[in-house]
Amino acid sequence: MNVLDVRDLRKSFGDVHAVQGISFSVEAGEVFTIIGPNGAGKTTTLEMIEGLVPPDSGTISFGGLNWRHYADAIKMKIGVQPQSSAMFDLLTPEENLELFASFYPHPRQTEEILQMINLTEHRNKQVKTLSGGQRQRLAIGLAMVSDPEIIFLDEPTTGLDPQARRNIWDIVLKLKELGKTTILTTHYMEEAEKLSDRVCIVDQGKIIALDTPAALIDRLTKEREVRLSFAGVEEAAAEAERYASQEASVVRAVREGAQLKLWSVQPEETLYSLFGFTKEREYRVEQVSIREMSLEDVFIAFTGKEWRD
Amino acid sequence: MNRSMKQFSKMFAAQLKMTFREKQTWFWGIFFPVILMVVFMLIFGGSSDNAFEAKVAIVDEAANPASAAILEQLRAVDAFEIESGEPVSREQAEEWLLDGDVAAVIALPAASADSAAGPMRLELIVDKENEQSVTTQAVAGILGQFVTMGNLAAAGAAPVYELSVESVTRGSNELTVKDFILTGLIAMSIAQGGMFGMVDMVEMRRKGLLKRLRMTPAKMGLYGLGDMTVRMLFAVVQIILLSLIGVFAFGASLYIDPLSLFVVFLVGVLSFTAMGYLFSSVCKTMEAYMAVANIASFLMMFLAGIFFPVETMPEWLRPVSHVLPLTYFVDGLRDAMVYASGIVSGTFWLGIGILALWGVVCFGLGSLLYKSKSIAATR
Repeated sequence: MNVLDVRDLRKSFGDVHAVQGISFSVEAGEVFTIIGPNGAGKTTTLEMIEGLVPPDSGTISFGGLNWRHYADAIKMKIGVQPQSSAMFDLLTPEENLELFASFYPHPRQTEEILQMINLTEHRNKQVKTLSGGQRQRLAIGLAMVSDPEIIFLDEPTTGLDPQARRNIWDIVLKLKELGKTTILTTHYMEEAEKLSDRVCIVDQGKIIALDTPAALIDRLTKEREVRLSFAGVEEAAAEAERYASQEASVVRAVREGAQLKLWSVQPEETLYSLFGFTKEREYRVEQVSIREMSLEDVFIAFTGKEWRD
Repeated sequence: MNRSMKQFSKMFAAQLKMTFREKQTWFWGIFFPVILMVVFMLIFGGSSDNAFEAKVAIVDEAANPASAAILEQLRAVDAFEIESGEPVSREQAEEWLLDGDVAAVIALPAASADSAAGPMRLELIVDKENEQSVTTQAVAGILGQFVTMGNLAAAGAAPVYELSVESVTRGSNELTVKDFILTGLIAMSIAQGGMFGMVDMVEMRRKGLLKRLRMTPAKMGLYGLGDMTVRMLFAVVQIILLSLIGVFAFGASLYIDPLSLFVVFLVGVLSFTAMGYLFSSVCKTMEAYMAVANIASFLMMFLAGIFFPVETMPEWLRPVSHVLPLTYFVDGLRDAMVYASGIVSGTFWLGIGILALWGVVCFGLGSLLYKSKSIAATR
């Protein structure tokens, strides 16, 4: 069942055509991620869906409810964590949560949320004294106050250190366990890959790809980069290069000193055959790695642009 | 309904906490007006009664019956305090004068009236530096009157005219300098509270908090109501605190008419908050807001009769003060807190009307600006 249907959304600000016909549907319980560079139209799209900005044209439907006639009903169904961590700095996390809880008829228990966002210890500190990660977790907590069906997280991990990012990922995965639908935007490919059921790549106001992370990666060429390191013995690397180049699966080979890089359409087979050769010659292989294709590669392949954080 | 009440009480509690946790509020709302009051009271509220008093030295170089008689009468003049109580030498008196120990030296006549030698001469000696000072003028005036009376008496004529000075006020109490400063500062604090207080709105908009609240079913009207209630509460604290200090530490006297105080307080708080609201609608940053609020508040502080009466300002400036809302607020407050007259007077209601008009216009304009910018503000 679709909890959200977006059809042909468009929005221009003067000469800037921020969103040029975006359509997608989100199913119940899924983590749906929108990625794209700055200025791609992610935030505008999200703000239209959240009812903050009226679209020039197109429709937004939350299981049959639209903003024009059912604004209050939709506000009960959604929880939003905006990009700027908007909360009351002079109140404590507990007071913030309780204030927001008073806006809704059946709010979630403050205690429960504090535990979920791991802020129980800091419940009585004023928000202005919290760290970036703690603030961000509280912002997500505020989005969960109403126990909403759909949660919007707009770049929840931007500017956080790796540990804080991991904490936020845990929260998103917990929400998924609870059967909530999450709509996420991010700058981090790793994050999109790890958390999402489906990824929507937006560039210049349009969707350029929409699928599961794995399927998106599969759509690209199957070449994988394989790296081997020959413990400083250049001669061995050179011999291995000569051998590998004759393999049918190997598309290209590049050697830098004792380092060998191969591009293979069947990396397992290439390696199997290569290891047979090195064993016979008694060459010592120090390191082997196969680099997986990532969403970053997907992004670059689809947009033809370098990814920039 | 029940939920609205619950929402309101949560919003009110949250705003109360935020107001009292903000150090700026304490500084500008409590500390600053108190300091200002102490300073102004010490400068201007010095003497408790308005009677004029000057220290003088008397020189009586050739004591004679006439000079003794005049000395006797000078002693009877309340306004003069005779240094050392007795006549002194001219040198001593002039030294005191130059040191600033006395305001003037009066030299008594050297000889009795003698038509051949001309009239008896009563000399007034002052420091050149202070020739034009108010004290010198006053001493000269009193002495002049003294001489005239002497002449009349010598001629055996009874005075035909007598000047009787009496001050008239609108109400039951006379407005002393202290009461004037106290009520002025109360008005100023409340006005500043309103004009500066809306900086929260600018911050909330900048941080996206207004946007965030719009995404919830929160009733923003209730939020505004909670905000106003907290402001009123804070203003009540200001009035009580400043009044207590003014009355008990500096001896100001208040005659409060509760009903008119309530009216002028309510309209004043609302109107000045509306001004702050208007400022917040045109300012994108806290700095810009503070600049605008500071200009407005400083202009009004000096032009609205807070520290000195409007009548003492140059003629051409007075029309300005007759436009400013603070003029009417402080007048209304004085009516309600010093004269205890307010509610029956037409001027009071006219002032309240003008104050309210300011509030309505500011609020209307502010709302219009907020509405027209709301889409642009959300990108």
